[in-house]
This record gives sequence, C-alpha cells and structure tokens, in this order.
Amino acid sequence: MDAVTYPNEKVYDFMNKYVISLRVPADQEPLSTDFNVQWTPALLILDHNGQEHHRTVGFMTGEELIASILLGTGNAYFNNSQFQEALACYDSIINQHPDSDSVQEAIFQTGVSRYKSTNDPIPLKEAYQKLNDEYPGSQWAKRAYPYRLIQ
Amino acid sequence: MEQGIHWETDFNNALERSKAEGKFIFLDFFNPQ
Repeated sequence: MDAVTYPNEKVYDFMNKYVISLRVPADQEPLSTDFNVQWTPALLILDHNGQEHHRTVGFMTGEELIASILLGTGNAYFNNSQFQEALACYDSIINQHPDSDSVQEAIFQTGVSRYKSTNDPIPLKEAYQKLNDEYPGSQWAKRAYPYRLIQ
Repeated sequence: MEQGIHWETDFNNALERSKAEGKFIFLDFFNPQ
C-alpha cells in the first residue's frame, strides 16, 4: 500500500477530500483487540462513534481502494437509513469505477436502497436483472436471485 | 500544499474530526514490522 497505492495522486486527493484517514499499527492495543485485527492491511470504514461498517483485508490498487471506500461509506449511510447519500456513493462506483470489484455489491445495494426509500420493490428486480445480465453466476447475482420473481 | 494522505494517528482525534467534519473514518491497521 505504501509503495503503490497511497502515493497515487488520485488516491490521496480522494481520501483527503472524503474521509478522515487514520493509521495505527496492527499490534496497538486496545484497538487491535477491539477490532479483532488478525491480518494486515486491515482497512475499515468507521462512523464518528467508532462503529465499523465495512472491512477489507489485503492489498488493493488505487482504483480498487477508492471504490472500496465509496462502498464502505455507502454502506455506513445505508446502515444509518440515509438512503439518498448511500445511493450517491453506489452511483459513483457504478459510473466511475465500473471495473472494480465493488461494483456488484453497489448494484445490489442500489436496489435495496431504492426499495427501502420508496417501498417500491421493482428496483430489487432491476438489480437482479442487471447483475444477472452483466455478472451471471456471481455471488451478488445469486444473492439477488429471489428478486427475479417480483411483479 | 503538502502532497500525500493527511494521516491521523490518534483514534480519539479521528473520532473528533469525524464528528466535526461530517466524514467517515478510513482506518488502516498496518504491519509495523
């Protein structure tokens, strides 16, 4: 991360603008135990209460890291029922980082967020259709599989 | 302006800044060795 990802101008511009970046050694107590850190790099998204909303473990490229942070912040908004803010994060992944590993979950979460903010179940079916068309057989297409039956 | 990520190294400072600035925290537990 230090050699490749963090020196990337797009990465540090994004991080300085959108998140508070915090770095601690993996053996620093009590944080290591509190967050059950078993391997590095462990990359977490927390809210202002220190509540964890997203975690990845292992190296990421700059593009993957930006998309992952967007996914984590989107999920943090989602967990706080701030669906419009969550949707803005997911839209950024889908439109600006379409080749990232985060895009499938962003499509799934878009369907769920739109459903929860409107009570209209059609976005769930649309999420399934998009996942099945673009990522057939993927983990997230499988998770959305029941939504194909929505009328 | 200095280039690179503006890292916090203190957990409580990060929480305070998160509240004040309305941003989430990206926490990197790194290998110290």
